[in-house]
Amino acid sequence: MDHSSGEALHVGLETAAPTVKKRTFAPRVTLAVQTYAWRLVIALAILTSWETAVRLKWVNSFLLGSPSGIWEAFLRMLLSGQLLNDIGATLTATLVGFAAGSLLGSLLGLGLWYSPLLARVIDPLVIALNGVPKIALAPMIIIWFGSGMFSKMALASIATFVVALLSAYQGATQVDRSLVNLMRSFGAKKYQVFWKVVVPSSIPWVISAFRLNIGFALVAVVGGEFISSDRGLGHMIFVAGNLFNLNTVWVGVILLMIAAMLLYTVVGYLESKLLSWSKSDAGPRTSVGA
Amino acid sequence: MNQNAIRDVVEVRNVSHFFDNPESGSIPVLSKLSLRIRQQEFVSIVGPSGAGKSTLFNIISGLLTPSEGSVLVHGQDIRQSTGHVGYMMQKDLLFPWRTVIENVGLGLEIKGAAKSKRKELGRDYLRRYGLESFADAYPSTLSGGMRQRVAFIRTLVTNPDIILLDEPFSALDYQTRLVLEEEILSVLREQGKTVVLVTHDIGEAIAMSDRVVVMSKRPGTVKQIYDVGLAALHGSALRARADHRYNDFFEAIWKDLDIQIGREA
Repeated sequence: MDHSSGEALHVGLETAAPTVKKRTFAPRVTLAVQTYAWRLVIALAILTSWETAVRLKWVNSFLLGSPSGIWEAFLRMLLSGQLLNDIGATLTATLVGFAAGSLLGSLLGLGLWYSPLLARVIDPLVIALNGVPKIALAPMIIIWFGSGMFSKMALASIATFVVALLSAYQGATQVDRSLVNLMRSFGAKKYQVFWKVVVPSSIPWVISAFRLNIGFALVAVVGGEFISSDRGLGHMIFVAGNLFNLNTVWVGVILLMIAAMLLYTVVGYLESKLLSWSKSDAGPRTSVGA
Repeated sequence: MNQNAIRDVVEVRNVSHFFDNPESGSIPVLSKLSLRIRQQEFVSIVGPSGAGKSTLFNIISGLLTPSEGSVLVHGQDIRQSTGHVGYMMQKDLLFPWRTVIENVGLGLEIKGAAKSKRKELGRDYLRRYGLESFADAYPSTLSGGMRQRVAFIRTLVTNPDIILLDEPFSALDYQTRLVLEEEILSVLREQGKTVVLVTHDIGEAIAMSDRVVVMSKRPGTVKQIYDVGLAALHGSALRARADHRYNDFFEAIWKDLDIQIGREA
């Protein structure tokens, strides 16, 4: 899924580049159209056979839900306004938690490059925190911050913070020594080495942590909503599940998938902005592959 | 004597260096090495692998403080300081996230030059070396020879009077190598730079240098110094290779190195 959205992005980039348009444009679009056409065919096939199986009573719609039932549930909740409320709560908590945790974690991880001693001191703590399933912290967080949206933001921040920190620090420590030496041979100060070499060369690590963190942030928010909340997609799924209302559960699951894909697109856009230099490198290679 | 001391722009005095190794104690890399480089001289250093050539460069450039001895540049002890020499390393070390012109301006940027001045100087140099049209390209789109040229310009643009070249041609194919040798030699002569070149290539050392320093195997020290001067005589590295003395020097230096290799095996 991730890969294919990257592919779509490439197509967008290529059409924007004026110089090589003629040669790469035509086969690319054909491939993209083919890809989308196949996806549509497969999705329609699954939905049709699912609906047919339910209507002919081959499977129990009570245990599985049905496409038409899911659509009805979706419309009903959308019209009542409850769905938008739930989507808003989950998306806001995810976005804020994701952004706060990922940014703070990345900054601290990069900053640890300045002090290898501090990095060594806190190493076991970070490893331990990374190993703990963050959802185990939910009861504490909810007791401290209540059952509202803020506790979900806090959970998502914690879940994404550690991943971002570890990845950014790893990126910072794997900086090419010879680039640092080159900087020093020009008489560079430590802060110049940090901003001109360490930060830019760690960007791929930071971005890859961002990508992982989309999933972690959603797990944390939805998990928190399962445990204690009054709204949100997690809350909706949890309540509907207890009532055996499978169609509503499906609505929640599908919306979460869409939310995740949207977030991937945002991170992909960020990546294309921050790593435009490596895109110009990857560009010709993918066009050869296509 | 006194006059000599002033004209030596680099003076390596009795430098020894050990790398600490927790298992086998300290490993000696350089042993009481002394070397004087005169103003506007082109000196090459050849030696067996592991003789400490790069360590010597790291010490001269100030990246590494020697365990013993000292290095004087323009008569001043350079201990704990960097930035007094231009250092071109084996790999081009262009920053992939910077365009060619941004790479060229790196040294100036570190030294605090204004952006407009960096651009102006950078473009000026790129124009001179026919790379102007690549100013806004990323290094990944350049060939090996072009990348090494950009790295050379990056070194020149800060206008150092001493330049250390650490096997800058080793990753290039033979033809590109000959062209770049010729090009770099003429630029450095024209601008009156003092140059120290580390190389594995005996031919390259003879073709480019006023003097060739042969180092012993580890712990490295100066084994032999040859006054070559063929490039200065003919005004070209290519023509220096055609001089009849080229082969004599080659054989002599090869012998110096061969003994080392033989003993090692």
